[in-house]
Amino acid sequence: MSRFPCPDKLLKLNQRFKIFTELAEDLSFLQEYPPRTHFSAKDNLCAVGFQARAGSRILEGYRPPFDATAIWRMRQEGAALLGKTNMDEFGFGTFCTNSGYDIPRNPFDEERACGGSSGGAAAATSLLEGHVALGVSTGGSISCPASFCGVIGLTPTYGRISRHGLIDYANSLDKIGLLVRDPLALRKWLPVISGPDPKDPTSCVQPALVTSGRRVERVAVPKEATENLSSGVESQFARSLASLQEEHGILVEEVSMPSLRFALSAYYVLATSEASTNLARYCGMRFGVRNLDISQHFNDFFAETRSANFGTEAKRRILLGTYARMVGFRDRYYMKALAVRQLVIAEYKKMFQDFDLVLTPTMPFIAPHFAEIERMRPLEAYQADFLTVPPNLAGLPHLSLPCGYSDSMPVGMQLVAPHWEERLLLDIADRWTSKFKMRFPEVSA
Amino acid sequence: MRIGLEVHVQLPTRSKLFCSCSTSAEEPNSSICPTCLGFPGSRPAINRKALEMAVQIARFLQCRIAPEIWFSRKTYFYPDLPKHFQITQYDSPVGVDGHFMVEGKSIGIWRVHVEEDPGRIKRVGRSGEEVSLIDYNRSGIPLVEIVTAPDLSSPDEARIFLTELLVELRHIIGTSAGDEQSVRADANISMGEERVEVKNVQGLRNLERALKFEANRQQRMLESGMKVVRETRRFDEERKVTLSAREKEFEEDYGYIGEPDLGVYDLTRFASSMPEIETPLRRAQRMSAHYVVDYEKARQIVLTSMALADLFEAIAKRVDPEVAMNWTLGPISNNWSQLLPRLTEQVVEDVVTVVQQVVDRQITDSEGRRRIGAIAVGECAQDVSCAVEDALLDSIISQYLDEHPQVLKDYASNPRSANSVIGHVMKVAQGKYNSQEVVEAVRKEIERRKG
Repeated sequence: MSRFPCPDKLLKLNQRFKIFTELAEDLSFLQEYPPRTHFSAKDNLCAVGFQARAGSRILEGYRPPFDATAIWRMRQEGAALLGKTNMDEFGFGTFCTNSGYDIPRNPFDEERACGGSSGGAAAATSLLEGHVALGVSTGGSISCPASFCGVIGLTPTYGRISRHGLIDYANSLDKIGLLVRDPLALRKWLPVISGPDPKDPTSCVQPALVTSGRRVERVAVPKEATENLSSGVESQFARSLASLQEEHGILVEEVSMPSLRFALSAYYVLATSEASTNLARYCGMRFGVRNLDISQHFNDFFAETRSANFGTEAKRRILLGTYARMVGFRDRYYMKALAVRQLVIAEYKKMFQDFDLVLTPTMPFIAPHFAEIERMRPLEAYQADFLTVPPNLAGLPHLSLPCGYSDSMPVGMQLVAPHWEERLLLDIADRWTSKFKMRFPEVSA
Repeated sequence: MRIGLEVHVQLPTRSKLFCSCSTSAEEPNSSICPTCLGFPGSRPAINRKALEMAVQIARFLQCRIAPEIWFSRKTYFYPDLPKHFQITQYDSPVGVDGHFMVEGKSIGIWRVHVEEDPGRIKRVGRSGEEVSLIDYNRSGIPLVEIVTAPDLSSPDEARIFLTELLVELRHIIGTSAGDEQSVRADANISMGEERVEVKNVQGLRNLERALKFEANRQQRMLESGMKVVRETRRFDEERKVTLSAREKEFEEDYGYIGEPDLGVYDLTRFASSMPEIETPLRRAQRMSAHYVVDYEKARQIVLTSMALADLFEAIAKRVDPEVAMNWTLGPISNNWSQLLPRLTEQVVEDVVTVVQQVVDRQITDSEGRRRIGAIAVGECAQDVSCAVEDALLDSIISQYLDEHPQVLKDYASNPRSANSVIGHVMKVAQGKYNSQEVVEAVRKEIERRKG
């Protein structure tokens, strides 16, 4: 790959890998000199000039009248928006196989998944040199595909980057982040898209982003996170721990974090509860798809539109979330999940008294084949998120770094930092990539 | 009979509750944005002014103010509700456990909370070919919901409660608020065991009609041995009847969850920094007690204007409050529309001086009246002396009494003999003086001559 893909080649690549759901009409900026940074945005980020469909058929044709703050800030800084990247519908998925459009293919092996839900973003970064992808994580949607596609994925603290213009999955969990090949790109673009924005009040309580001044010295590895790993991931992770100690002089210690076990259940209750309210607005009125007879009773019209245009996983999560909020179940599920979240946060905080970071593998296995995914039951797919969910539930900044290769497929490790301490992640990204040789797929269009 | 109300009053903020759209647009769908249309990617940002007003209302209703509040999502599907959830307050209302006095009776206030208004649906077209149009200008306008205990015992009392409440609210949050036609209420009414909810009645008059109809209907049912079922009804404004909307076997499930996009707001500092506001009816009560004047009259003053009450109090401090009351409700009220726009400290002082002079008998009543009229049109009171005309009135009376000494003689046994003098003056002066003025002048002159 050249640093600047020519437009033709890009179109061909996309036909093959289904990374972008929409590309900029005019791609001539790719040949400009001096070169501009080209970036992509996950399809749940609103950008003027593009549809924003969040991977869902129900948003077919929706062209938002405003830019998401993160996109606006990238553009102000001179970056050019190349296109919108493919994703699981509304972020609902671990493999990017729940898109209402095509299914993106892993650049390392086309028979394997990219990971989800920011699958297109990770694949684009893996395929295009110098590319910066804006992704979004609710329960691990940046870490997971970064790990499967062998790139760096940074998910900042909840509230660090304005969510204005982000199509909501679960507002108390959604975080915009970056997928890149080179940690220098994190140092350049994280400060650009961070910072308070009155259009998202939850971004207005953040302390200023500091990118230096702390070095990673001690990391904790919870033993709960090294159970149920595939052998390839297990061995690559073990090698990485050794490298951290021997090559980087970082103290690695095994710890126990028992509340991590409950994070997954709490996450799925909270995320689906919020999602089921967020998705209520999609009904074929005002925006998005409208292909039915509007003279029907509104209830029938809404139900038909939603039945025809939401995918299976979206429907499943609406049902789960609605159930968890119902009178009689609300206390048992929704309220309890809120309490568990506090427990998880407290346990991390305790850990950060003695350690700079908490380290785990990112995913328990390498990118699976599509055929394997088809055989998975929904619960098994949810369980694959057990390592990425805890920091997301706690709103903690975290980073997935490529840390090895198994069966020629990338393996990732995930580092979790205290709230607002993204600088520790930038430090470890710099140091790790100075010694670790990252691989990128050689692909001809 | 037990009646409880859920009253919805729009807060007169300039912009909406969660976006900067104007609240005063006329043209349908001209004041809308991604946030109040619930576009994907938009999110709310709180209008602090609305919170402030809600706290003021809750404080006025003697509620306990929540130290911290947050918002919740109330989910239901309806075309006028863009997000299909309403951002409202569920488990942390601004205020709870208050009360409001109506004619000496305390009506419990269960809660006061803030929420966003949905859009407005308008049905147009001939029957059978009706089309629903939606105007989202109203979507996102701040509302305060006031929930009463079922302490109201008649439709009449409910009307008085709401009328008086609106008087007070208008003063607290601004003149345009709490319009009697635009106020919306849900009413729970029960004659026996089961309660019926009449939803979304607009305007004070409709509320009273709906309650009366519903009370009658339930009464008749109970009398004929039928059971009232628990249900939601709506009020048909055209036919003036309540109609069953749906039977309510269980509470509607709105699946409340917290609104994650809005934070937790600390109200304690907010509430303590707010000045206590004296509302019109509370003021009438205070004036009535303090100056020992009739409550109804005090009420009449405050309902005209709080500035008129200021004037009354300025006068009552200097003269007998009863006299102050008569002058306030008489000559001053008569000239109020002209007086109000030029009310300055000096003007207040001039008016008080005039009344003082009358009381001190430096000038006559009619001179006093005339001077107030002069002040009202911006002329200096002293410049427009009415002494000449008063002298003229006095001289007509004197002349008549001189010519008819019999009147004075008869007066002791028959005060009606003064009527001949009055009749003469009215005839001669041809309506120049009002009868009250003449009666007073005649009485004074006769007394003087007798004394």
